[in-house]
Amino acid sequence: MWSRPGSRGTRRAAVALLAVSALAVAGCGGGGGGADAGGDRTLTVWIMEGTNPDPTSYITELSAAFQERTGATLDVQFLQWASAHDRFVTAIAGGTTPDVAEVGTTWIAEFGDAGALVDLGPRIQEAGLSDGLVDGLVEAGTLGAALYGMPWYAGVRSIVYRTDVFTELGLEPPTTWDELVAVGQAVKEGRPDLVPLPIAGDNEFAVYPFLWGAGGEIATQDGGTWTSHVDSPESRAGIQFYADLALRHGLSTPAAANWRETHLKDAFTKGEAAMIFAGSWTPKAILEDAPELEGKIGAFPIPGPDGGLAPSVLGGSLLSVFESSDDQDLAWQLVEMMGTGEFAAKWAAESSYFPGTEELLNEAAQSSDPLVAPFARQMVESGRSVPVTPAFGQIQGNKTIAAMMRSILTGEATVEQATSTAAAEMNEIFAGGA
Amino acid sequence: MTVAERTRPGRGAVGASPRPGRRRPRGRSTRPWLLLAPALLVMGGLLLYPLVRVLVLSLQDFGLRELVSGRTNWVGFDNYAELLANPDLWRTVLPNTVVFAVVAVALTVVVGTLVALLLARLSPVVRGLVTTAILVAWAIPAVTGTYVWVFIFTPVDGIAVQALDALGLIDAATANPFSDRLSFYAVATLNVVHHGFPFVALTVLAGLLTIPQELTEAAVIDGAGPWRRFWSLTFPMLRPVFAVVTVLSTIWDFKVFTQIYLMPGGDGVNRNVLTLGTWSYVESFAQNRYGLGAAIAVLLTALLLIITAVYLRLLFREEEL
Repeated sequence: MWSRPGSRGTRRAAVALLAVSALAVAGCGGGGGGADAGGDRTLTVWIMEGTNPDPTSYITELSAAFQERTGATLDVQFLQWASAHDRFVTAIAGGTTPDVAEVGTTWIAEFGDAGALVDLGPRIQEAGLSDGLVDGLVEAGTLGAALYGMPWYAGVRSIVYRTDVFTELGLEPPTTWDELVAVGQAVKEGRPDLVPLPIAGDNEFAVYPFLWGAGGEIATQDGGTWTSHVDSPESRAGIQFYADLALRHGLSTPAAANWRETHLKDAFTKGEAAMIFAGSWTPKAILEDAPELEGKIGAFPIPGPDGGLAPSVLGGSLLSVFESSDDQDLAWQLVEMMGTGEFAAKWAAESSYFPGTEELLNEAAQSSDPLVAPFARQMVESGRSVPVTPAFGQIQGNKTIAAMMRSILTGEATVEQATSTAAAEMNEIFAGGA
Repeated sequence: MTVAERTRPGRGAVGASPRPGRRRPRGRSTRPWLLLAPALLVMGGLLLYPLVRVLVLSLQDFGLRELVSGRTNWVGFDNYAELLANPDLWRTVLPNTVVFAVVAVALTVVVGTLVALLLARLSPVVRGLVTTAILVAWAIPAVTGTYVWVFIFTPVDGIAVQALDALGLIDAATANPFSDRLSFYAVATLNVVHHGFPFVALTVLAGLLTIPQELTEAAVIDGAGPWRRFWSLTFPMLRPVFAVVTVLSTIWDFKVFTQIYLMPGGDGVNRNVLTLGTWSYVESFAQNRYGLGAAIAVLLTALLLIITAVYLRLLFREEEL
């Protein structure tokens, strides 16, 4: 057959076909992560970034130490918080998930429920770590009997302010909501070049302290069914007060209706804002970018309406291992290394997050550092979890609260209209299940 | 087809074959298919399979759990029923998508044609310079371009906001171009037209250069002005070119995603500016409702097919296609 000239075309076609399939195979071979066959094992790791200090040096040290201990190399990728949820979901969809990832407390139930994460409960138990973990983080990572992550760090948001501006105007950190308004107005009059307290539209974690502070609830569970309460009179009053900081008292800027938390940090770093809602990890990141603010930054807890502290979201991250990981034992080794001992303490110190183990947390809470103590107080005295249900991750993905705040801040809807819309959306998601 | 026809006569006529008595391999009639196979494989794999998959998905209730476990949950046309019963579709998403696409396509084609007419009159050297400048606009990735436009229109200190404030049109201290639906889409239209007109300009220019000089001269002698010359001479001769650029622009502008999604509020925070494209993404990947997202994508495709067909029918007579 091959000797006949007539078959030349067929052969050519076959060659062409082969070439195409080779291309296709090559195309499929790329991408994906995980360990290659052979001696050199690699773990893909996803770490979040956003308003926290630059973690590069920590990661370099961690990679070196991990390689020394296990011989495996780390491929660390940084993800922006704002787009991370979509990245996780598309990775789960495409089978390109990392081996180990930092997963936010509000997402872990969603991914765990979907079956994408490994139940680390048995391994944590085996390693004798179960007792010393921070309750709020364990609660966030637990669904049914499974614990889908090793608590890595906790964080809480308070208010970061410019001490030099407060001194100049003779102001004291506010301890009630009325004082917060008064302080904002004093800054507005005394320093018209500054935005006193920008209110970002897409920043739900600054909404909840006011919603809770006024006695409201995000959602409550009753016999397995969740119901939204953002449209209750108390929640509405809290949201109204928060929105009025911008709308009635003019402490914000119209642009902020579209801002995220990162924009608040940027405005403060550029010296354009006097106070911002910020996490304990933010002051250090601000000083990295704007060393001239050294000594001019302070923090105070978000006050309650008539004194005391407003509850603030106890957020944070857990380290999770993905089901798709080829080498779950190796992945767990990394999680254990990052979540305990030297590297956990180092991470907490360098990032200004609070550690995920009780022992290290108590140590951090005793800190006298003026940029740590107010956050520690807010966390220990009034840290509070958002609803622990896979549906809440979906509500966050839907940006329900962000859409609500944006429409209020732009004047498109009243607090009543916007909270009703948001509550309806939340109830629909609760009813639909994940 | 032509290959098959040409080979057919050789089959019976022994004399036509260089070696008498040699039988034609039976694979002869399959040869065209073999030659087409690579292209068909690529198209089938890259176009047909995803299309079918989206259609199948749109008939399922498909979430993150189904994705991981591989289970399927058929729901028939529930996704479509939910979609069509959603008032947001009719109030915001569909009008946004259609009006934006129509305006953007019209502006892109008009601006592109005007630039092409300008280019045709320039000397080769200047034309080269201007073409290069235009190509830069085309070469900028959509992501970069969008961020530049967002930067220009940033509230308070964006250069465009400051300029409009200086003209007394808006108040820079309070205006936010990304809040209002109309101004949001005005910025998006600027971005899309700026990114899309170079393609139209260069394609139309290529067409313009094929029009024989004599025709234009004859028209000038007949006393036709520039307006008349364009509609009686240039446009009729370039109908196929305009058909192509209009249809392509329509397809691009209908499914525009990056330019909307990356603008402040375009990622679903501002529900008033959702388009079919961004809505489909938000439902699929933020809500993990891939079935509903797929149904939206199918709706977008169907809409696109209908509008393209209507466009072509309106603009061009059938025999010209």
